Amino acid sequence: MAVTLSINQKPVTINAPDDKPLLWALREDANLVGTKFGCGIAVCGACTVLVDGVATRSCVMPISAVVGKQITTIEAISEKGPSAVQKAWIEHQVPQCGYCQAGFIMATTALLEKIPEPTDADIDAAISNLCRCGTYPAMRLAIKKAAQIKKAGV
Amino acid sequence: MADSSTKKMSKTRRAFLIGTGLIGGALVISTTLAWRRVAGAQSFKPPVKAGETAFNAWLKILPDSTIIVQVPRQEMGQGIYTMLAMLVAEELDADWSKVRVEQAQISAVYGNVTALGDSAPAPMQAAMIATARVLGVQMTGGSTSTRDGWEPMRMAAASARAVLLAAAAAKWNVPVAELTVNQSVIKHAGAGKSGPFGEFVQAAAALSPPSQVMVKAQKDWKILGTSPARLDVVEKSLGKAQFGIDVRPEGLLYATVKHIPFVSGALQEVRWKNGAPPKDVLHQVRGDNWLAVISTSYWSAKKALEEAELIGGGPTGTVLSSDQLTLRYKDVLDGKDGGFAPIRRTFGEHGKAEQVIAAAPAAKRIEAAYSVPFLAHAAMEPLNCTALIKNGKVDVWVGNQAPTVVQWLASGNVGVANDAVTVHTPYLGGGFGRRFDIEVIRQTLACAKVTNGKPVQLIWSREQDIQHDAYRPAVSCRFTAAIDDKNGVNAWHHRLVGPSVSKSVIGRMNPLFAGDFPPDKTNADGAAELPYAFANFKCDHAQVDLPVPTGYWRSVGNSYTAFFVESFLDELAVALKKDPYLFRLELLKDQPRFARVVDAAASAAQWSTALPQGWGRGIALAESFKSIACMVVDVEVVGKDIKVRRVVTAVDCGTALHPDNVKVQISGAALYGLTAALKGNITLKDGIVQQSNFNDYGLMSMAECPQFETVIINSGAALGGIGEVVVPPIAPALGNAIYAATGKRLRSLPFRLA
Repeated sequence: MAVTLSINQKPVTINAPDDKPLLWALREDANLVGTKFGCGIAVCGACTVLVDGVATRSCVMPISAVVGKQITTIEAISEKGPSAVQKAWIEHQVPQCGYCQAGFIMATTALLEKIPEPTDADIDAAISNLCRCGTYPAMRLAIKKAAQIKKAGV
Repeated sequence: MADSSTKKMSKTRRAFLIGTGLIGGALVISTTLAWRRVAGAQSFKPPVKAGETAFNAWLKILPDSTIIVQVPRQEMGQGIYTMLAMLVAEELDADWSKVRVEQAQISAVYGNVTALGDSAPAPMQAAMIATARVLGVQMTGGSTSTRDGWEPMRMAAASARAVLLAAAAAKWNVPVAELTVNQSVIKHAGAGKSGPFGEFVQAAAALSPPSQVMVKAQKDWKILGTSPARLDVVEKSLGKAQFGIDVRPEGLLYATVKHIPFVSGALQEVRWKNGAPPKDVLHQVRGDNWLAVISTSYWSAKKALEEAELIGGGPTGTVLSSDQLTLRYKDVLDGKDGGFAPIRRTFGEHGKAEQVIAAAPAAKRIEAAYSVPFLAHAAMEPLNCTALIKNGKVDVWVGNQAPTVVQWLASGNVGVANDAVTVHTPYLGGGFGRRFDIEVIRQTLACAKVTNGKPVQLIWSREQDIQHDAYRPAVSCRFTAAIDDKNGVNAWHHRLVGPSVSKSVIGRMNPLFAGDFPPDKTNADGAAELPYAFANFKCDHAQVDLPVPTGYWRSVGNSYTAFFVESFLDELAVALKKDPYLFRLELLKDQPRFARVVDAAASAAQWSTALPQGWGRGIALAESFKSIACMVVDVEVVGKDIKVRRVVTAVDCGTALHPDNVKVQISGAALYGLTAALKGNITLKDGIVQQSNFNDYGLMSMAECPQFETVIINSGAALGGIGEVVVPPIAPALGNAIYAATGKRLRSLPFRLA
């Protein structure tokens, strides 16, 4: 009933059933509420976190499956100031209601690790999260800008 | 239509203009004769923390010159925190980098007068505005927030500026008229003196506000009309913005809810899989048609509810299926009862459309029928509410679009005075009309009553949200038009059938107020008055009661009427062998403001340029929320696949006060409308919604997002809204483009090519 997870490079003990999804362990047990609940069936991507660097939909990922892995949430990537992705997000004024944005930012963070300069087709294939406000046009510009910022190492 | 709307506008502005005059190009507003609530706003002061000084209801200033604007509207992505702060900053000549916002507390001073005024039929508008001032309901909807804040917030800031200047003039012993303000610094050039606002806050606050203030002329604006960075973007980009679902009061318990499978009817019995609820369940709470369970985790509560079977339903006749509803609507349009006892009303008429059509030979008559389905709002943040009832006080944390209503509901529900209820409104994870509804608040309060002073957060699953929404109603209509001998449209008759959304929404708040009078203007918004020159015109509506809860859905009635009107208009253009763009211009010859918008869109889209094989281009125009938008859509059709490639929009919202935000509201609302045009379809089978989550109620994605271009026309007309105004024209512009590409006229949403 108790597992220890590595969340944002810190060990965190979670007292919960093995099948509790990582999303709810983060939000209820680890008090990390930046990761959002959207659908519960891994379709919308609001709950995206990094597991060993891979964009993962935490709403269907039982905590038992991520023991021993490095979990990274939105809270960690801005610890030393906004990340390249977040800087680009701010520059292009991407969020509207903002609820889905952490999921998009984490998905983009993973994409840029894999493909440093993604094409439009790469973005379309990798960023399958959903945004009801329709922030996609600004987001596409921000993803490309984030790639530039990252490349320049600013 | 422009004529009648101009008339309406001058009527609503008259009370305000009584106390105004123009001096030196600036508007002088008497604060005693002007809008009554502003006089109230001078005496009402928001709560202050140490070091803060409140000048009136709308703003506080700190010793370091930070300005804290009180925003009584809710931020749900439309940028209203920024926009309303800009109104105040402009009049103060403030340093924008030192302007902040706070969600205002609940007070009648902050009531949204414009929203209620807009909701009333023309003859009742003045009475509704008077009522709105007394009720003082804080609400965010109807694309009214900027229009409503426009006068009182600028006046409040100008009033604060006046006392700050008076304090500086007294300190320096110079005439007020010789002072200037720039970036929150007051300066007297002659005396060589200058000082920031903060220096004068104490002295200024002791002065009486002036009986008259000047509001800046547009030519002197420094902030309005520019696009400063939005105040909410940094925390939303860093993942630090707090939504309702994120609040964590000490000792928080979690709950979730399940409704009976049917959209209407009552809960009769709960059957647990193992005869009793799982041990994780701390409490069960039953409502009319729902069961909530409280646990230490949403996850355990949700798993527990999976073991509960809810037995219930409505009486015979309340079990509706969508295909059956379509047939019953058809009966109503045929003049029959349809099993509804419909209330038939005329919402707009001039000339003798019915007689002209009846007299026209069949060859000169054009008819078509259109329909749209129920739609869910599907805001990304699932419905949730957190409540704490303790020591005779109630705290409610909820992303909502009407905090005053939340307060009334909680005080009545718990049995305490209004001032014992504190409503906390964090950021809304999307609103779109969904968060006017109070069911989740009622359920949460019921849970908070059994937790002995512990706070409880109730979260709906996405499945419950999709299956138990207050839906955009399914609506059908029929058009008949008569063609004259000069190849023009002689008569237009539009007949609609559907439920009253307002009656459904109000009925859930308080059934006593949910009647059939006054007529629900939203039934035929966007169809009752058209800008086009038809000699004979009639729009009527048959209102029916459905056993399906319906609600305000971004752009409300306009969300379907524009699709109907602009698609049928395109059919007429085709029948008359006229270019759809030129046909609209011809019908707008007496409407220069509309014609200019249509021209701008067609020109930006290069309307007459050729498109590749399989592509089509369509145009549509719609006026809603006092703004005019024309869209041109380019589509590529590959087999049955509809790919929206390009969306060009021209918009006249009077004056674009934050042009960048206007542009993103347009692309965002267009995508909202494209989801409805291409995907959205809530269907009922035997009273049960067939869709349940984003896998079968999909949204437009990044890969499907077209290219957007937007032209803003600053006509200087009275301000219009922006958050909803392109939801109406996008579907017909796309449908008309599909026709151009394929020759197939699609008359129902979502679009499906056979």
